[in-house]
This record gives sequence, C-alpha cells and structure tokens, in this order.
Amino acid sequence: MQITGEPEVTPTIAGDTIVGTEGKYIYCVADSGETVGLGKIGIDENEVYTIGYRDICAVAHRCPAEPYKSDDPEAIEVWVLRHQQVIDAAWERWGTVLPLAFDTIIAAREGSDAEQNTWNWLREEYQNLKGKIERVRGKAEYGVQVFWEPKLIAQNLSETSPEIRQLEEEISTKSRGLAYMYRQKLEGLLRREMEAEGDSCFKDFYRRIKAQVDDIRVEKTKTRKADQGLQMIMNLSCLVARDKYLELGRVLEEIDKIEGFSIRFTGPWPPYSFVGT
Amino acid sequence: MEPTREARATLVDLLDRVLDKGLVLYADIIISLAGVPLIGVNLRAALAGMETMLQYGVMTAWDEHIRAWEHENRRQTEFSIAPEEAASEIALSVPGEKEPIRV
Repeated sequence: MQITGEPEVTPTIAGDTIVGTEGKYIYCVADSGETVGLGKIGIDENEVYTIGYRDICAVAHRCPAEPYKSDDPEAIEVWVLRHQQVIDAAWERWGTVLPLAFDTIIAAREGSDAEQNTWNWLREEYQNLKGKIERVRGKAEYGVQVFWEPKLIAQNLSETSPEIRQLEEEISTKSRGLAYMYRQKLEGLLRREMEAEGDSCFKDFYRRIKAQVDDIRVEKTKTRKADQGLQMIMNLSCLVARDKYLELGRVLEEIDKIEGFSIRFTGPWPPYSFVGT
Repeated sequence: MEPTREARATLVDLLDRVLDKGLVLYADIIISLAGVPLIGVNLRAALAGMETMLQYGVMTAWDEHIRAWEHENRRQTEFSIAPEEAASEIALSVPGEKEPIRV
C-alpha cells in the first residue's frame, strides 16, 4: 500500500545480524510502535522482541527459516501454549493485538532478509492492519458452544408430537412385520422432527446471542469423545466489548437452563477469528 | 455464566484458534512448501490422534482443507482490500445428514 506524504521511515532493527537463512516467527501485530525486547518468553525460550513501523509492531523471535514440527503432541501443546502466552503478554501490555496462527514464519526473499520482509509487510499492509486494530480495539473473543442431549430431545419430541404419538399407537396394533415397517417410518419422522427442532433452536439462540455481541462467526460443529452423549448444535466465535461479556453470559445462562441443553463458554481469547481476510 | 480459559479445560478451543485462524500473511513471504503454507501442517499430522482432528478424518481431508484455505486466501489477498464479509455459513448437523443452512 502506498503511503503518500509520509517521510520514509527506516527499519528499526534491534542489533540484528542479517542472516539469509534466518526467519522471523511472528506471534502477533500489536498496537504500539515501541521497539522493545520482551525477554526470553518465546517458544523454546527464545527472546521475543518487536519490529516496529510507525505506531504498530510485529511481535517476533528469530528462528531458523523452517517450521516448527514434531511428532509429539505434548511438545506441540507446549509450543501452542507458549505461542498464546506471548500473545497474552503483548495483549496485556498494549491492549490491542492481531494474533497470528502458530508457525507463521517470515523468510528471507530475493535479497531482503526476514526482518526487512517483516518490516516491509508492516509498511505495505499498514492501513489494512490499522483498520483491523480499530475493529477489535477494546474487544475480546469468546467461544460459545451449544450442546443438546439427543436422547432427551427425541424423547420430548415423541411425547409432544401428535404425528409421532399417533404412529406409536398404530404400531401397537400391527403384526410384527408391519410393526417393523412402521418403526422405520417412525425413525424417519423423528429424525425430521429433530432436524426441524435443531433449526428452530439454532435460529432462536443465534438471534439471542447475536444481540449481545459486536460480531459473530459461525464455526463448524464438532463431535468430541469428551462430550459423552452430548451433541454440539452450535459453535460460535463472538467478538465482545470487554465490559459486555457479562450480558452475553446472562443470555447463555438462560439457554443453559433449558432442559436438554448445555453451554460451553470460553475466553477471553485474543480475536483470532476476527482478524482474517 | 462466566467464561473459562483454564488451560487444560480449553486446550482444544485454543488449538482450534491457534492452528486454524489468525491474521493471514502473503504466502510469498512466509515459509511454504510447494505453495502450501506450513502453518500448522506438520502439526496436524502429529495431532491427528487428538480429538481436535476428528473433524478432518483422514490425512487427505486436512490436506485438502489446507489447500482450499490457501487457495481461498490467495484469491482474497490478490484483491488486497478486505472484501465484505462473506455470508456466514452455518453447518448445523443433526442426526441424519443435512445441508448447511445460511442465515
């Protein structure tokens, strides 16, 4: 992005040795032009420091120009937690950050080293990054997952749906062979009723939650072993003003109290889901 | 209701975010292999046994996912100015496969 009418700013490099094979692991972009070392708080105890351009900076550490990889899930967990801790530290210090995904490493390219490339990136994307910073200023991300107990929901539907009740009554009067066919029909009907119920709950909850947040993303629902018997019917990322999460919590509590439904409420996270394209 | 960020209890939520999301850089300045950014790619293989990977099923599925992501990302960065937010896609799965609905 071309910035006109601005004096050219020179890169602020803190005593870096320029090595072509060196990369910059980037944790986040922060709302500060400060060029500063944050200590050995990085992945594998790397020294974390900032690369500043005007009033924004990239929070980074020096690393070889290759990705972090491991076959050991525990090692990865440690890295991911450390990635998050560095972002948390920046978040606390400067108030607003744009987090990056794990393992985003800027490489040296065509005669400019990784530090220069990082700085060039900040410069070229400056307006875009500033825009994103403004959009998430004073806000945090919260994860909201809504679960239901399919068995309980199905049971309730069987009791309340006149069609299902009628079918069930008919089954009891049929011969064994016919009863089997009726049961198939009953299962199909129940499945459709569950879908309709799921749709209607989704729309209702979505509307109530959306009213309490600044922005919202609908994520894919997931099945996890740990959720024993519960089924996720909604998975949302919500961007909420820091002082507004209690109101969101109140709405979630209402939903959590409905029989057969439960809520998982996580956060505050840096706004991972609201800084992408 | 209060949100939680207790490290053990929310690790999966953290992984979902740290491996899949965040600010996107131009693919041509980040380390990549055959045009596929290595953001988390190797890690996905190692994490394949973890619950968070269930959604991807087999390895090829996540590879396609990454490629699709990359493709989409490149397409969008080419136009450079942040496009209007795409319509949110809602994947609601209740028993008996269902087409995602859009709101």
